[in-house]
Amino acid sequence: MTPASEPKAELAADAVNPTTPAQPAALVLAIRDLAVHFAGRRGLFAPPAAVVRAVDGVDLTIAPGETLGLVGESGCGKSTLSNAVLGIVRPVRGSVQVAGAEVVGADRAGLAAIRRTVALIFQDPALSLNPRMSIGAAIGEPLAVAGVARGAVLRERVAALLRAVGLRPEHAGRFPHEFSGGQRQRIVIARALALEPQLVVCDEPVSALDVSVRAQILNLLVDLQRERGVAYLFVSHDLAVVRHVTDRVAVMYLGRIVELASRDTLFAAPKHPYTRALLDAVPDPDPARQRGRTRMRLTGDLPSPADIPPGCAFASRCPLVADRCRTERPDLTTRPDGAQVACHFA
Amino acid sequence: MQPVPAMADAPLLAVQDLTLAIRGASVVDRVSFAVARGEVVAIVGESGCGKSLTALAVMRLLAPAVRLSGGRILFEGRDLAALPEAAMCGVRGRDLAMIFQEPTASLDPLMMVGSQLVEALRIHQAVSTAEARERARAMLAAVGIPDPARRLDQYPFELSGGMCQRVMIALALICGPRLLVADEPTTALDVTIQAEILDLLRSRVAGQGTAVLLITHDMGVVADIADRVVVMYAGRVAEIADAAALYAAPRHPYTAMLLASVPRLEAAPKGRLATIEGQVPTPAEFGPGCRYASRCPLAIARCTAEAPPLVTDADGHAAACWRSGEAATLRGAA
Repeated sequence: MTPASEPKAELAADAVNPTTPAQPAALVLAIRDLAVHFAGRRGLFAPPAAVVRAVDGVDLTIAPGETLGLVGESGCGKSTLSNAVLGIVRPVRGSVQVAGAEVVGADRAGLAAIRRTVALIFQDPALSLNPRMSIGAAIGEPLAVAGVARGAVLRERVAALLRAVGLRPEHAGRFPHEFSGGQRQRIVIARALALEPQLVVCDEPVSALDVSVRAQILNLLVDLQRERGVAYLFVSHDLAVVRHVTDRVAVMYLGRIVELASRDTLFAAPKHPYTRALLDAVPDPDPARQRGRTRMRLTGDLPSPADIPPGCAFASRCPLVADRCRTERPDLTTRPDGAQVACHFA
Repeated sequence: MQPVPAMADAPLLAVQDLTLAIRGASVVDRVSFAVARGEVVAIVGESGCGKSLTALAVMRLLAPAVRLSGGRILFEGRDLAALPEAAMCGVRGRDLAMIFQEPTASLDPLMMVGSQLVEALRIHQAVSTAEARERARAMLAAVGIPDPARRLDQYPFELSGGMCQRVMIALALICGPRLLVADEPTTALDVTIQAEILDLLRSRVAGQGTAVLLITHDMGVVADIADRVVVMYAGRVAEIADAAALYAAPRHPYTAMLLASVPRLEAAPKGRLATIEGQVPTPAEFGPGCRYASRCPLAIARCTAEAPPLVTDADGHAAACWRSGEAATLRGAA
């Protein structure tokens, strides 16, 4: 692959998707050169508005039945990116295709159709369910709105969904407060799967859950993927969780992808200094090993996305930084093992 | 106030049979543990196990609905549970201090960082404002805040989450407490910032001998920083051990299964994680026996009939389980 000085030069699926075969037409998700900017606040006492480049030139693809992990720190743009997939935010440039249908610029009817093929699971199940709606009604609502089923057929579909996520169909008449956090996330998953989407965007789906329940939900997501062939865009800051459920991983820093590789390659041979620092920061749940580790430490916080430095955005925190990094932005280039890395020195 | 006996080997903090009740249900039931000077003790457990209530009880910051219905909280020999609130105000913040999970919610949004630090110091010590301000600046520098003189005159909203957490730690440490109670201090932070905050706590323990009572659900954080671990389940202590011993050979089935269910970086690809089936019982479901019995694969008839006492072995490893010898076998169960 040539270094992607021209964004358009790397649009072939095999370039952005090193471990899955090139089948552009069959992709569940194809994001090209996506940029989402927000105008800064313009208040009475606020300084002149600065543009926040939340997502700034991202290319990603997901094949059917695949799980792509998207990791990075708070403020790196990973939630904005997942919102763009759903058409919730309006990009300033680029394209998002879900199962071949263009999200950017789609009208109301177009978005409604697209949202039958892509569903969303949020972090906090308590905030994702209407407390005054029975869970059966909540799970059945997408089916009713889409006009797919009603009456006895709808009730049977809801019962099947409840069984699929490990809940009892006779609980359909109960309300969210009668369930624990883990059960509520199962309800949210059942609702997300109601229209049999090809892609589910999971935005920190287990971060609000306790450890033992987290394992149950992760196992459920993996099982549902095996049974139904659904693809996941799995957004998380927890690398140990990402390691467990994904096929490929994209590491995001200040609105850009800095490393994209198959899961095994990324965890066995992380290349970008930011990826290495992220991995080093995850404590090993074994005191002997954890205390014997030599770790790469990052200093300082993420720079403001309203004031991204020229050159490499990571330069201000990078232990490998050189003069070139402060002036010249590295592009994603493909390495011998298939990993794509945006670093002059990694 | 009774005089404090000078006992060299007495623990800094000894919680004895602490019982907390909400509407008659004992949500924390006869919890006992100790923290030595300069020691990091972690209380781990899931939501609702009573770990945060225990921490708040030590600080005497319980909500009115929670009743301290039994037990003692001995801090340097003095029972905080029996202390009048006025006396507690003199102790809280000076001898023991607390940091919370959500730094932005714990700082006063309308007060500059420096003013908050100066206020905390001047409540407990007779120092001039100028001197307090200089100590505040030094404290911000000590917790790793760059350009501390400028930060004194900034408001919390001008700082990042990691910086706010450092300010809160500075606020807790400025009077030089012997015990720092830290309730999920890194849960709201990114892993990179978490590593820095844990380094900061570690250096404080090593440098000043500050003891830390760390409340967390993260077994990785525990492995990183704790000397000893108290595992709580449904309001009771399940196990207490040195961190290394706990991870190497847990003696309570809950600990063993909790460790097995933690996703690890080096784990098998897309493999199934071990799970603990079922849920934590609600206080209404508490029976006479072990509260873990309904989820425990080792449970026998005795477990549901009779609560196992916390038994400390000769090696200092304590577990509350009738079958503690077999618990470690659950470690690899997947």
